[in-house]
Amino acid sequence: MAVASVSHGGLVSDAHHGEVDQLYVETRELRLQGFMLFLVSDLVLFSSFIFAYLYMRSSGQGWPPPGINRLDVAFAAVNSVILFGSGATMHYALENWKHGNFGKYSGFMVATIILGALFLGGQAYEYTNLIVHDHVTWGGSGIFGASFFTLTGMHGFHVTVGVIYLTILLLQSIHGTYTKEKFFGLTAGTLYWHFVDVIWVALFSIFYLI
Amino acid sequence: MHTDLPTIERIIAILGGIVVAVVSAKALKDDWKTPGFENHVFKLMLGLLCLGAIIAILAGANVLGNFPKAA
Repeated sequence: MAVASVSHGGLVSDAHHGEVDQLYVETRELRLQGFMLFLVSDLVLFSSFIFAYLYMRSSGQGWPPPGINRLDVAFAAVNSVILFGSGATMHYALENWKHGNFGKYSGFMVATIILGALFLGGQAYEYTNLIVHDHVTWGGSGIFGASFFTLTGMHGFHVTVGVIYLTILLLQSIHGTYTKEKFFGLTAGTLYWHFVDVIWVALFSIFYLI
Repeated sequence: MHTDLPTIERIIAILGGIVVAVVSAKALKDDWKTPGFENHVFKLMLGLLCLGAIIAILAGANVLGNFPKAA
């Protein structure tokens, strides 16, 4: 069995034969396809909610409904930039792993996790403001509150899962689970994080900008 | 110049958005010729990330999402 290890800031490939595990090579494409199917199913889930929201919104008398203020665009723009920035750091984390720069990889991974956590903090702050000051709630503000909290909450759940997922990936890579040749977990993590970013582009646009 | 919290937030959104847009566009350019299915997906994602950063810049600059205050 091949043994992977990380030593002195550099990645070491499979130690025994200098070859990539044959089973890994044979199953990698299947795993990639499986993960892509998972992301597509998630995309369908978000799309369903987004189209339901847009349909309900278009059939109402003006938006937001009377008595509800527009959402804070400036704060949401900052929070969006934080999340989009985490997408860029995640991309460079994977690139550095591919090039064997473990130090830079770890730095970019930690930055991604921190930025993801900051985004969640920003979302919690926004929720607090909406509930406490604007009295917008999931159940008591009609379609607006229900659709906003459902969609952004569902996205926030995905970000939370992503932060946990990336933390586990970082710990796994520190403990030598991945090598320079075998790193499908990191590829999947990057795909997931980019997906979460891209979903926010849509949510930010439909809730704050139109 | 009057600098209240929303103004500071808008400045941060614009500056941060420019950084993210430039970095993601550069990453997209660097990866443009990489082959393989997953790399094509990454390129699509990076392109959308860049678009998101541009949208955030426009929102910060009051070009998008600039609605009159409710009475």
